[in-house]
Amino acid sequence: MVSTAAYAPQFVSSRHAIAAIRVRRAAGRTLITVARSIGIFVPVFIVATFVTFALRAVSGLSPARIQLGEEATPAAVHRIEGTWGLNRPFLAQYWSWFTNILHGNLGRSWSNGVNVSQLIGDGLTVSLSVATLALVIGIVFGFGLGTLAALRRTTWIDRVITAVLTVFAVTPPFVVGIVLVEVFAVSLRWFPSGGFVPFGAGAGPWFEHLLLPALALSFDTVAVVARQLRAGLIGAYQENYVTGAVVRGLSPRRIFFRHVLRNGAGPALAALGLQFPALIGGSVVTEWIFGLQGFGRFANDAAQAGDVPSVQGVLVVSIVLVVTFNLIVNVVLGRVTPASQRGV
Amino acid sequence: MVRRILSLRAGRLAAGILSAIALLAIFGPLLAPDNPLGSSSKTLAGPSGQHWLGTDYLGRDVFSRLLDGSRDSVVGAVEVALVALVVGVIPGLLSVYLGRVFEWTSLRLADTLISLPFLVFAVAVTALLGNGITQAMLVVGVLVSPVFFRVSRAATLAVARSQYVEVALISGASVNWIVRRHVWVKVLPAVAVALAQTMGVGFIVVSSLSFLGIGVQPPAPTWGGLLASDLNYLHYQPWAPVAPSVLIMATVWGCNLLADAIRDVSGETGRALINTRKAQANGLGAKRIPVEGRV
Repeated sequence: MVSTAAYAPQFVSSRHAIAAIRVRRAAGRTLITVARSIGIFVPVFIVATFVTFALRAVSGLSPARIQLGEEATPAAVHRIEGTWGLNRPFLAQYWSWFTNILHGNLGRSWSNGVNVSQLIGDGLTVSLSVATLALVIGIVFGFGLGTLAALRRTTWIDRVITAVLTVFAVTPPFVVGIVLVEVFAVSLRWFPSGGFVPFGAGAGPWFEHLLLPALALSFDTVAVVARQLRAGLIGAYQENYVTGAVVRGLSPRRIFFRHVLRNGAGPALAALGLQFPALIGGSVVTEWIFGLQGFGRFANDAAQAGDVPSVQGVLVVSIVLVVTFNLIVNVVLGRVTPASQRGV
Repeated sequence: MVRRILSLRAGRLAAGILSAIALLAIFGPLLAPDNPLGSSSKTLAGPSGQHWLGTDYLGRDVFSRLLDGSRDSVVGAVEVALVALVVGVIPGLLSVYLGRVFEWTSLRLADTLISLPFLVFAVAVTALLGNGITQAMLVVGVLVSPVFFRVSRAATLAVARSQYVEVALISGASVNWIVRRHVWVKVLPAVAVALAQTMGVGFIVVSSLSFLGIGVQPPAPTWGGLLASDLNYLHYQPWAPVAPSVLIMATVWGCNLLADAIRDVSGETGRALINTRKAQANGLGAKRIPVEGRV
């Protein structure tokens, strides 16, 4: 729905007043979106943390096994579980763990006693750099290719783009990763095959180390965004209001940006919101290929070692990341296509 | 329905690819010429008459490993899709009819599951619950089930609000009868599309997990596991990842094509209008898309 402020009664005389009303309405809508999303987020967060916490009880793992090995005496196991507070009732444990999370304290690792928040923080800088770059690549190429295909629909350009996107969509990130390592690191030697250099050591090396993993991650995002955008734009071009705009003699540029893009981009943006979990998940595999000590690698190592607090921390952090990103996408979506908010 | 799917080029292609993969999964382990686990002194050999795809770093025949691993790789994806189907569709149908409390709870649960980055979660849960293929498939299946939940719920909602169902209700039909008579017919194609898609996604997830050595333990061959061991010897065998990669990509592509074909045939959503040629082949008589709007 386009803001109706333009058709407000005559007593709003000056242009400034109209602009102010528009800004206020937009801000109000954004606030409503945020409030509604938080209303959804709170129960989601509680359920998800509960499931996460219940994992330990279900798995039956204990720090004693990691610290004492397999031949521990029951007394020693009992003592160690006591020092970790595991002999308390389940709900009491959950409550203290939950309040700690709210304070940003994720507990200590069973393997080495290090603070999990700190371990995850170290990994996150690496992973978020990669994921952000992948997201940027995904958005730029996804929107570019999708728009191009929609504007040149049913021509050879469209067909080539669709074919490329099909290949992108069916290629798992680890296959892309292996191909990229093989071509650009092993054969051409243009980029290093792995490792991470902090931004402080210079933007050039930092970017070189990030580009291949980010590319490997971004393929799926490019494919999903571009396909949704193409379908959305073509759908919007078939609407009567576009025909009307053509008849009224509006310029193609104006029709595209005003009528088609705003109405057609909704599905692509929504898909982008769902793509973020895939980026976080994909990092498990790409970090393994490129030898990055990131969040996904940490998740994998901790899980295989049976280090439950670390795994729980990883899951909580990834839930928060995903939900935050969804919130941002929802706000953007609400601004671009207000109609999309009806279904939330 | 099947005949109409096969009348599309995409449908024929999908059927061809998927039946080839299915044959591979059924007969592959029997056809393997060599022992897939037996190592020899000829390590990292190139393709030859004896070893069609060469040998790996322990001197095991890659072709045999590829054939032997096909069953685990494919069965995993099918299991994921079936688990997701059962866990997702039934609550999706019920959420429309069982009242607001159930509706709200199931919607929130679906929201929760969909907001979990499922590869991280699958890795974590599988490793903690004892590293086995069954656990892995169950976890992944539950994690992708919101797709089915949403699809079946949306289809059910659309039917439940349509006029002929209202008429049926007014004339005294039971909900049970309506679901069997009217709702299923509309829900099935949507679920079939989701099933084909989920098999593709499940296949990627399962091979990612086996790539990481989760689910199927390393000495047993899988396509993902083959790729993982190739990665360390890329320098000596740059062609090694090609065969498993191509198989994985072909399978996923086959699933996607099948999903597209079913969607086109069942005439759902506006997709049929997008690809004019396909739509005309379907006899849907799509209107020609105006092209004046170019920038």
